[in-house]
Amino acid sequence: MLTIGLMHYLILSAAIFCCGVFVMMTKRNAIGILIGVELVLNSVNINFIAFDRYSLVPGFDGQITALFVIVLAAAEAAVAVAICMNLYKNINTIDVDRGDALHG
Amino acid sequence: MSNYETYLLAGVAIPFVSFLILMLFGPRLGKPLAGWVAVAAMATCCVLATLTMVGWLGEVENGTAAEMTAAAKDNQFYWADLGTVPINIGVNLDSLTVIMFFMVTFIATWIFVFSVGYMAGHSDEVGGQSKYHRFFCYLSLFGFSMLGLIISSNLLFLFIFWELVGLCSYLLIGFYFDKKYASNAAMKAFITNRVGDFGFIFGLMMVYFFLGTLDLDGAAAEFSRQYASNTGVFDPAFTINIFGWKVSGAMLATLMGVGLFCGAMGKSAQFPLQVWLPDAMAGPTPVSALIHAATMVAAGVYLVARVFRLLTPEAQMFIAGVGCITLTAMALIAIVQTDIKKCLAYSTLSQLGYMIFGLGVGAWIAALFHLMTHAFFKAMMFLGSGQVIEGCHHEQDMRKMGGLIRKMPVTGITFLIGVLAIAGFGIPNAHLGLGGYFSKDEILAVAWDRAGIGGEGHGHHGDHGGHGDDGHGGDHALAGTTGFTLVAGAGGSHGGDHGGDSSEEKGSGALKLMFWCALITAYVTPFYMMRCWWMTFMGKPRDQHVHDHAHESPLMFLPLVILAIFTVVSSYALFRPLIADAAPALTDAVLVTSYDGHAYDAEHAKGALIKLEAAHDWLFWGVGWSWLIMFIVAIVIYRGGLDFAAKIKSAFSPIATLLEKKYYFDEIYDFLLVRGCRLIASISAFWDTYIVDWIVASFTSKVTERFSVFAGRGVDANIVDGVFNGMAVTSFDLSNFFRSPHTGRIRNYVLFTAGAAAVAILLILVFDQMSGTQVVLTSAGG
Repeated sequence: MLTIGLMHYLILSAAIFCCGVFVMMTKRNAIGILIGVELVLNSVNINFIAFDRYSLVPGFDGQITALFVIVLAAAEAAVAVAICMNLYKNINTIDVDRGDALHG
Repeated sequence: MSNYETYLLAGVAIPFVSFLILMLFGPRLGKPLAGWVAVAAMATCCVLATLTMVGWLGEVENGTAAEMTAAAKDNQFYWADLGTVPINIGVNLDSLTVIMFFMVTFIATWIFVFSVGYMAGHSDEVGGQSKYHRFFCYLSLFGFSMLGLIISSNLLFLFIFWELVGLCSYLLIGFYFDKKYASNAAMKAFITNRVGDFGFIFGLMMVYFFLGTLDLDGAAAEFSRQYASNTGVFDPAFTINIFGWKVSGAMLATLMGVGLFCGAMGKSAQFPLQVWLPDAMAGPTPVSALIHAATMVAAGVYLVARVFRLLTPEAQMFIAGVGCITLTAMALIAIVQTDIKKCLAYSTLSQLGYMIFGLGVGAWIAALFHLMTHAFFKAMMFLGSGQVIEGCHHEQDMRKMGGLIRKMPVTGITFLIGVLAIAGFGIPNAHLGLGGYFSKDEILAVAWDRAGIGGEGHGHHGDHGGHGDDGHGGDHALAGTTGFTLVAGAGGSHGGDHGGDSSEEKGSGALKLMFWCALITAYVTPFYMMRCWWMTFMGKPRDQHVHDHAHESPLMFLPLVILAIFTVVSSYALFRPLIADAAPALTDAVLVTSYDGHAYDAEHAKGALIKLEAAHDWLFWGVGWSWLIMFIVAIVIYRGGLDFAAKIKSAFSPIATLLEKKYYFDEIYDFLLVRGCRLIASISAFWDTYIVDWIVASFTSKVTERFSVFAGRGVDANIVDGVFNGMAVTSFDLSNFFRSPHTGRIRNYVLFTAGAAAVAILLILVFDQMSGTQVVLTSAGG
């Protein structure tokens, strides 16, 4: 019988992380990139909780850290959305490829 | 550092500050204010000088003055080394400095006040720009330089300030530089002074070389030491071979003194360098009064007085001769002058000749006393002439004046006081008279004694070693260790070379001639001065237009009155005691003799000074009443206008022409020097145009052209430019390469980051594998 262990969680987390990175790399829509970032953060949360659960030291450190990350992600989303709005105000689109004024 | 030194140094610094202020902010201060700044600065100096003098009189009274002089001598600032000789800056704090300082600051203050009034009536614009502030700027610089000259204890610094006063003189004579005659006069003054200063530099070099110091006191001490011990320049074996001409050390010592005196010849306008001073009258009248009558021209006399201890009897004779020629020749020219300022200028020359002659015959005190009295009355007369010229609408010709006393009473009376002072007004033997009477009488008394008119049997006419036997023995015994015993001791060992010569000179024909010249000039002076005064102020007005215009301005006659008061009251009481106090130390010479020609109170004759009594008895009849006689002669001739004088003149027309042409000195110098210079210049121009230019054009220019083509097209365009262009292109390509990852696209950056992270993790795994530790991924929980 298949036991769900640490390895499974880590593989799940890695898969979500890769999805997130992939989204960030491929999406041109700023909101899409934001969603990719959320995916990456959540993959990290899974890791924290998994390590917490399977840690030899009992406690809730990982879970608390995950809560912090969620809060941070909310704040980050607010900032990112504000950036998106400014981007839209300036160039009338949220296509990040168009916002390349600082390219080398 | 005593208070006096501080006062004197501050007194030197303040005019310099005023100079800086006027130079930087002068145009903004504007017309009267710039002048008042200079007046305020000079007045402050005058207050400091007065404080110094009052304090110093107390020190002299208490006998502490000598200590202070010595203390000031020790308190010197080390400046630099000249070879192995250290150059120290110090204040020469003695009675002579104090009194000179007072004289210069006092006269300068009043002349500055006068200048404010004088410049108010003068246009001072050149090309639409006012030069007003510049006048006071230069005057302040002059004040700084002159005061610096007076306090310098070192010949090198004296020389530096000496040149600075020369520069100020040049700038101020040429103040109206837009006028051709003024700029020419300025150049003439400057170049003539260069000739004298050339000799001065030679003298300085010889002092440096033979005496090994440029400090005035140090040089004098070394001079005495070398003379006493027959070493250095006085070593009998010491000779120098100049182009096959053997020059002995004693001769060189004489040349050293003559060289130093050359500087004085230039500055004090002595024969044959006298030509610049009359022309210098092209400057504004206050400048003539301050620089060319009272202070700067007296600097030459001051220099000779300071280096008196370095003179040899031969040098002293040379000085006396030059002074005598100047005083006689210039007084005669003054008789025929019609320009009021020129007349005063020749009178100044003659009086300067008197001072130099006085120093030459050994009347040290009298010469400096004459310098002081002359400074006051001549400055006053020049200011008076300025007032006259200003009042008469810039008319300087005395033939067009006359009868001005009614229009300008204050000027006329103060001018008369000056005339009386320079003529030697006084009641002989009654101890009553103006300063000029005492000072000139003293010079003549000393000359009388040196010339031996009174006969060889007179008290101290033997060799100086015999002084203990004569009536003055008591005085000299007080100063037994001074130069006199040194002469007596050394005179024997040197034989006829140095020791005995002063007694040999006594009564020599040359000295007799000089004495008679000076005596006759004492008769000439009252004549031309009274002539000048009478033509200007008395008689009938000869030019109605000038007469109608005449007026006085209060700002200008206040200085006249003050200087007149000083001429009358203070000179004998104030100046002479201080000069006499400085004399023993400064005339303590091994070789030359100095006399206290003051017969009235014997206690002044002390130290190395010989006093004269018989001379004054003789001069009572000889010259005492000269002023009265010659005044009467002048008044008789000029009483009824100029006709009688013209008749006399036509009777002696060759002499009058000679005098009017100033003995043709300007013509001779023009022919020999100016034309000579032009000839050399034209030869040089020919050489330059035809030979040097040809070489340059045909050879050098071709070579240069070829070389520049090679350097420009070959080296510069290919190699030098190539290097720099290559550097630029390389850095451009490099930066182009490095900018390519910076696309500005977020997706690319995320890709790079992720890729980099993946590579990092991969590397960690690989390295762990290689180092043997294995990353074990286990499920802790099971």
